[in-house]
Formats: sequence, C-alpha cells, structure tokens
Amino acid sequence: MKNMKKSLLAASVMLAAAGAQADVTINGFGNVVGGIASSDDVVLNFDDNIDFQNDSLFALQFSSDVSDKITATAQVLSRGEDDFDVAFEWAYLSYEVNNNWTVTAGRSRLPLFAYSASLDVGYTYHWVTAPNAIYNVPFNNLDGVKVSYSNMLGGWDILTDVAAGQFKGDAFGADLRGENTLLVSLQASNESLTVRGVVGRTDATLDLAGSSDEQAALLAGGFSTMRELGLVALSDSLEMEDDEGQFLGASVMWDNYQYFVGAELTKVMIDDSFSNDDTAYYVTAGARYGKWTPSITYERFESELSINNASLINDIAGSGLPDSVAATLTSVALGAQASQVEDYSITSVALRYDLDSGVALKADVSRYNDDVSDDNDGTLARVAVNFVF
Amino acid sequence: MLKKVVLALSLSASVAVSAFAEVAVIVHPENTAEITAEDVARMFLGKAGQFSDGKEVLPITQETATTTDAFNTGLLNRSSSQVASYWAKQVFTGKGSAPKQVSDDAAVINLVKDNKNAISYVDASSVTGDVKVVLTK
Repeated sequence: MKNMKKSLLAASVMLAAAGAQADVTINGFGNVVGGIASSDDVVLNFDDNIDFQNDSLFALQFSSDVSDKITATAQVLSRGEDDFDVAFEWAYLSYEVNNNWTVTAGRSRLPLFAYSASLDVGYTYHWVTAPNAIYNVPFNNLDGVKVSYSNMLGGWDILTDVAAGQFKGDAFGADLRGENTLLVSLQASNESLTVRGVVGRTDATLDLAGSSDEQAALLAGGFSTMRELGLVALSDSLEMEDDEGQFLGASVMWDNYQYFVGAELTKVMIDDSFSNDDTAYYVTAGARYGKWTPSITYERFESELSINNASLINDIAGSGLPDSVAATLTSVALGAQASQVEDYSITSVALRYDLDSGVALKADVSRYNDDVSDDNDGTLARVAVNFVF
Repeated sequence: MLKKVVLALSLSASVAVSAFAEVAVIVHPENTAEITAEDVARMFLGKAGQFSDGKEVLPITQETATTTDAFNTGLLNRSSSQVASYWAKQVFTGKGSAPKQVSDDAAVINLVKDNKNAISYVDASSVTGDVKVVLTK
C-alpha cells in the first residue's frame, strides 16, 4: 500500500512536470466485440463458443506539440487476439511544413487501404470490423517516413501520401519483413464522392525456417533440401527471400450522409516465391435513419494458383535423384503453391446504433462461403460496442 | 372561436420554430472577411484554416445540444453523431483535432467579441451588438 502511494505520487509528479512543459492531449478508443459461429464451424477465428477476445481492443493516444510546427504522437494499443499485450502501435513526430505539406517520421500506419488509418477505431465506420478480405493483412504499420500533401483543386480536396521505409509482420507463424517499401497514394474527394488509388512495392522476406507452424517448417525443410541437392533455381523460385512484391489498390465511396455506397479492390503479387497472386474486393451500401445505420457488404478474396515454375519442377524428375526423393520434392514444390490457394466470399448485414456522442452499438451476421472446400462454410454473429473519448 | 384557432395556430407555429431553432454564424465585429456557408463548413471540419483575408481561423463550438444539432445539420450537412465520428477519424489518424468547445450562447458571444480570429454560432435570438452575424440558417 505504501509502495502504491509512492508510485501514485511519482506518477502525479511526472504528469505535473509534463504539464508544465507542454500540454499532452490524451484520447482513447476501444472496441468490445463478442461473436459466435454456427455449430461446429470456425469463421474468422470465432468458433461455436461465444468469444469476447478476438476482435476486442483498447487504445490510448498521447499527443503533444513539441513546437509550433512539430507534434509528437504515441498510440498504445492492447489487442485481444494478442492476449491484450500492450504495445506501441504508433510513435511518430510530424512536422507541418505549411498548410499543404506534412512530414511524418517514425512508426505510423501504412496507407495501404481506404480505411487503413482508422482501421482500429470501430467508431469511425459502419461495420463491426472492416472487410476481412482486404483488411486482414499480416502487416499494417510502417517504420519510416511519410510525406503528405493536401490541397483544394477545382472543388476537390486532394490528398497525396508518399511513404517509404520497412514493415514487419507475421505470416504462417513466421516473421515477415518488407524492406525498401515505397507506397504512393492519391485521394480526391468532394462533398459526397471520394476516389482513391494506391501503388506500392517492397522486398519481401519470409523466415519460414523459424516458423512455429508445423507445415510451414516442413516446407522450409523441403526448400533447403532442394538447395542442398543442387536445385538452386527451383528453391529460389519458391522461397520468399528479398523477392519483389507489388501492391495495387483502388476505392470509391459515395456518401450523401443519408445513403452511402462504396467499393474497394486490391491486388498483391510477390515474384519468385511460393506465394500466389491475391485479388480482393468488397462492395458495401447502407442508409442512415436518425441514430440507425443498417448496411450490407459483399466481400471476396481470391488467391489463384499459377504454377509459373513448372519447367523447373519437371526438371526434378530428370535430376538423377532417387525416385522417392524426387517425388517428395515435387510434392513439396507443388504443395507449397497449392496450399496457398484460397477463394472465399463473405456476405454480411450490419446494424449500427449511435447510443451517444462517442459510443456506438453494433451487430452483424456474416455468411462465409469457401469455394475451395465447402467444409469451411459457416455463419458468424457478432455484437459490438465502439467508443472514443 | 376564430380567435382561439388563431391563438392555437400561433402557439403551434412558435413550437415549430423552437424545434428548428435558427442558428446565426458569428464573428468579431471587425472581421471583414467574406464568408460563405461552404466556407463555414470547411472551417468547422478543419479543411480551411484561414479567412479570405489570410487571418487564421479559430472555430468554436458549444455544448448546448439543440443549437449544435441545428448548426451541424444546417451547415455541416451531418448529424451530430456523424460529426463526432468524423472528428474521431481525424484525431486518431493524426489529421487534426475537433474545434474548442464552450458551454452556451453567452460563453460563445463572450469569446467571439474579444477574439478577432474566432468564428462560432449561437441561437439567432441570442445575438447581441457585440458580434457580427455572417449568415443565419
């Protein structure tokens, strides 16, 4: 108790000291989401027991003016899917050069998609969570520099972001890194219409050998065996190591504050690796009736199989390796690519109710259809409370 | 009989007026900048930071819900919860913060009459000679 008093005192002294130097603005937000899937099904990480952890999160954002033109911002976020471990989601300095130009340095959101910047703040959109097909990517934040330009041209608000740096994430239980990442986005909006386009590139490396996933580790073993047996070209064409990845995205949203309709399309390609080309899109529409916002969304994700190293795989048979080894390696090479094939669609209806300024209640029902295996089909129902302060 | 009907009509008319209170957008009396309804919307959504004469804009909102609701609907074309959602998005994407807020019409007028950069709104019936009305809606 005595210790606690002391630390409280220390904390208040620190706060007072901080207050004496600069005003620190503290804002926060959170999402509490409960969901349950149809019996014996697993849909978007929810099973048939009610779960309040998967999509829930809490965050505090601190910002302070370092000088007239420089602002420091830190966002501390705790995600249910990470057992509510607390981490610095963002930490950056932004320098407002003038009314049009802003330079941001540090860790901030990678401006990949239309809703990337406010993705964690459920209160700012009509869905319970942003469409999985597009927004469920293994990385979201950039360590680097972002230059933003905004202006008004002929009745349109123009916003351009150029971001450069690196990102880190998780995929297949392994570390995913993107070096030399460059992203350019352009957005134009008027009173009711917003259109956006984005192009990007990166050098992607996936450390499969260090994966906690059994199958991924198996693939890594297969790739290194190929290398040891002299099938270097094949191994190179499968491993994701410093391989160029390209990203394309486009979105449109029309909203007259009574009705809205929007769509977004993205394409991800990673050269010379076992990863397939992914295409994803969604279409959403809704209406606002006072405090109620009903909406409907259709989303689709396609990861198509295109074996572009078939001749290298055929070469395994003529490599003089024992038949059983050749057969195993052939199945690793084909299996690595085939296992990434995904094709699903989700149709969901959602309802938002604005309880109070800063608090929204939501509910949605989603039907998941897997076109690769019907066994994965299922239905998910969720309820949510989103708040900001 | 006729008198009673007229009385009833005028009563219901006054009720209707108070339900859709007229809002006056006000600035400092010495502010001579040209300000259209569209300019007001851009200033209160953080999209415009300067008056037409180049002076910095200090937008002020107020806590009185009926007046603010009427301003948001009439000039920003959004419900108050949509405005709250808009500012949540701006704040948490590092693009700006919501205008400063004071309690009511009297506090707004007090602030605007002393600050040449300020722009705010009050119920049209609360306007005094200390401030200049830009437009009413």
